Amino acid sequence: MASFDGFEYEVVVVGSGAGGGMAAHILTEAGAKVLMLEAGRDYDPYEETPMFNTNDEAPLRGVSTSDKNFGYYDATVDGGWQVPGEPYTTAEGTEFLWWRARMLGGRTNHFGRITPRFNARDFKPFSQDGMGTDWPLDYEEVGPWYDQCEKLIGVSGANVGNEDIPDSAEGVLQPPAAPRVYEILCEVAAKKLGIPLIPMRRAVLTRAIDEREACFNATECGRGCSIGAAFQTTTSLLPWANKTGNLKIVTDAMVKEVHLNDEGMASGVTFVNRKNKEDVRVDASVVILAASACETARLMLNSKSEMFPTGIANSSGQVGRNLMDSTGSDISGYIPALRGRPKYNEDGLAGNHIFIPWWDYEGQDNGTLKFKRGYHFEFGGGFGAPGMGIADGVDGYGKSAKEAVRFNYGSNFYMALRGEMVENENCYCEIDDKVKDKWGIPVLKFHWKWSQQEIDQAEHGMEWGGKIIEAMGGVVTSPKRTGEEAILAGGQIIHEVGTTRMGDDPKTSVTNKWGQTWDVKNLYVMDGSVFVSNPHKNCTLTILTLAMKNATYLAQQLNGDVS
Amino acid sequence: MSNNYQSKISRRDGIKWLGSLASVVVIGGVTVACDGPAPEAIPVDPSSHWPDLKFEPITGPKYGQDPKVAEPTRPWSLTFTSAQRNLVAQLCDILCPADEGGPSANDVGVPEVVDEWISAPYSSQQQDRVLILNGLQWLDDEANRRFGRAFLAASNDEQIAILDDIAFKAQASKPEFIHAVQFFDKLRTLVLGGYFTSPEGVEDIGYMGNVPIMGDYPGPTEEAMAHLEEVITNLPA
Ligand SMILES: Cc1cc2nc3c(=O)[nH]c(=O)nc-3n(C[C@H](O)[C@H](O)[C@H](O)COP(=O)(O)OP(=O)(O)OC[C@H]3O[C@@H](n4cnc5c(N)ncnc54)[C@H](O)[C@@H]3O)c2cc1C
Ligand code: SF4
Repeated sequence: MASFDGFEYEVVVVGSGAGGGMAAHILTEAGAKVLMLEAGRDYDPYEETPMFNTNDEAPLRGVSTSDKNFGYYDATVDGGWQVPGEPYTTAEGTEFLWWRARMLGGRTNHFGRITPRFNARDFKPFSQDGMGTDWPLDYEEVGPWYDQCEKLIGVSGANVGNEDIPDSAEGVLQPPAAPRVYEILCEVAAKKLGIPLIPMRRAVLTRAIDEREACFNATECGRGCSIGAAFQTTTSLLPWANKTGNLKIVTDAMVKEVHLNDEGMASGVTFVNRKNKEDVRVDASVVILAASACETARLMLNSKSEMFPTGIANSSGQVGRNLMDSTGSDISGYIPALRGRPKYNEDGLAGNHIFIPWWDYEGQDNGTLKFKRGYHFEFGGGFGAPGMGIADGVDGYGKSAKEAVRFNYGSNFYMALRGEMVENENCYCEIDDKVKDKWGIPVLKFHWKWSQQEIDQAEHGMEWGGKIIEAMGGVVTSPKRTGEEAILAGGQIIHEVGTTRMGDDPKTSVTNKWGQTWDVKNLYVMDGSVFVSNPHKNCTLTILTLAMKNATYLAQQLNGDVS
Repeated sequence: MSNNYQSKISRRDGIKWLGSLASVVVIGGVTVACDGPAPEAIPVDPSSHWPDLKFEPITGPKYGQDPKVAEPTRPWSLTFTSAQRNLVAQLCDILCPADEGGPSANDVGVPEVVDEWISAPYSSQQQDRVLILNGLQWLDDEANRRFGRAFLAASNDEQIAILDDIAFKAQASKPEFIHAVQFFDKLRTLVLGGYFTSPEGVEDIGYMGNVPIMGDYPGPTEEAMAHLEEVITNLPA
């Protein structure tokens, strides 16, 4: 047993977001003692969430600024597209955005809680279309873990037999919320084009679980949820793990290196105490990295030794490679017939109640589509809380301008494509040996280039998004764009994964299917780094599910109850 | 005052309605406007007397990346001169007068919202400050040229005569007005935005959310559904 500050433990977990939170929960429940190191500050959503605060109470009516990139009330602490004093660099010609939060719970405090699961073909992309790489897992193996994870974190949705988003086991999902007017209109219109809409899967409770209450149909989930309805580790996994007495969390602890002993095993880590800038070295029998895909890769690449001159557990050279994000492109318009419509409360669960899953597997398989991987549409509109942009596009002045704003309220509509990219050799991160952050830690340099696959996909999405808006009787207001113009920057959708992918072959992958690194047996990766592909299904449910599965495996190893 | 202005504007069907939202990005259901680069400055045409004054950007204290969001405070001071504040108050009355739907922008303190905006030490607000302060100066200059007195000293009709030349986006095609049109467009966004985000404006527009509803989300009301059914019946084939 190692010890820190009077606490005895065997496992160090780096990061307290989706991956780290789940690992800590499973391990502490199984009786393992865990020391969790989190770079950000302590954060208490029960105290700090601005649940009902209105825009007029916030500076600048709550709009986004360079300090709070997603608006004043967004839960992100000490982060955003930039973290002061902790830069990253990009290669020439690369456009890549990296969203970070420095807080207990990481980005789970404010994520959108959209949690669709992968289907069988998502695990076998190469077998399907000859591109990318197959996972060392299949749906048969992961499916029951999805059920268990969804049940634990609480996911609302419904089993409708859709091929893109498989049904969960009976009794797993909580009831979905009734669709709103603009959602029903979209459903009716899309149906005419042969496109289905199905209930959204979201980690938002519609039924209470223990002390976590059911969503009360108000307030934005991006601010965090002080009643625990929207899943975040700080109101669930972390307090549960704390309750076992087997967890100690150290915040303001920025891990900078994983140490290797003479036997080639991880012996512990060194972190910078952000409060006094001192280095602290702690021992461990097992080290779990879950600092988010790019931070985990950075930490490994920065942990050099004689045995691993290019970074710990990097004999394959794959650490930092195969970086993937979701594709994204948005199209907006308005629906004239929805102007002046009867008012009612459209807050609901804050996000989509229904959405458009990928619908054209046939076209993908028979080659009528130019691209091989699917996407889904999230969309929005409705009677939201008025913001400073509410009069954009209005002309004139006086009563008529005021009337125009009132009349148009609730008639805007946008669609957000979120799609799968195929891994490619131009998308990766590495250490920039010329730049260090304020803690003296070398920073990441990103390389990024979309392939024609993604560009064709975005073009298709903008075409079909336009068709859907028009079928709703709407007018598209975004300019017509090619796929290349419409596709957003790498990293911008904040679903980065793949930097220490799992596999069956130590030569082409960093970990086995348990997230255990091939090279260093007591070093595990339990965040999105282990993804082999990045299906269009928002990644966090799968991060949580794999962490649950792999931490369970590790707990069995630790308890010696594995044959 | 309100009725004076109504007849001048047709209710445009607005192909351009929300055109500016083209750059909207939505992440996990959160709508975010990404900070774009400064728009390219349009050169001032000889026919225009746009003052083109330069201002040192305000760089004072920001609220930072970890403000106490549940108890918001504004760390910067307001910077309008009293003359600027008075002029903006008058424009608020013209832009957003009281009517049957709700009070005026002045009644709900919008001049202070505009002041807070242009005084904020963020780059996009500082770009707006340059536009707004130049625009206020331009209005006085224009009133002096046309009527021999400052804007506020001009009569109601005289003020309106000037605004009628710059209050419509299409008027930006005239080189002598292009900057003034931009200015007025920005001011309108801020004033109407400030109004409709105020508690009175929120009530005016009929936003009914931000109140907890226990139990399942009830979905659309009967009236809302009846309206929707009519919309569906009239959908394009
Ligand atoms: C606005 C927004 C909306 C999103 N919406 C969705 C959605 O709807 N659905 C979805 O599936 N995903 C969504 N995501 C993505 C989702 O947030 C991430 O996939 C998820 O949080 C990743 O979990 P993680 O544990 O890998 O990383 P994180 O949640 O980022 O947690 C990592 C933690 O590690 C800490 N850390 C980093 N480096 C170190 C270090 N060196 N030492 C110690 N600690 C360190 C960080 O401070 C952080 O707390 C969204 C993201 C954002 C920003
Ligand atoms: S909408 Fe519901 S789940 Fe989201 S923050 Fe509000 S109460 Fe929580």
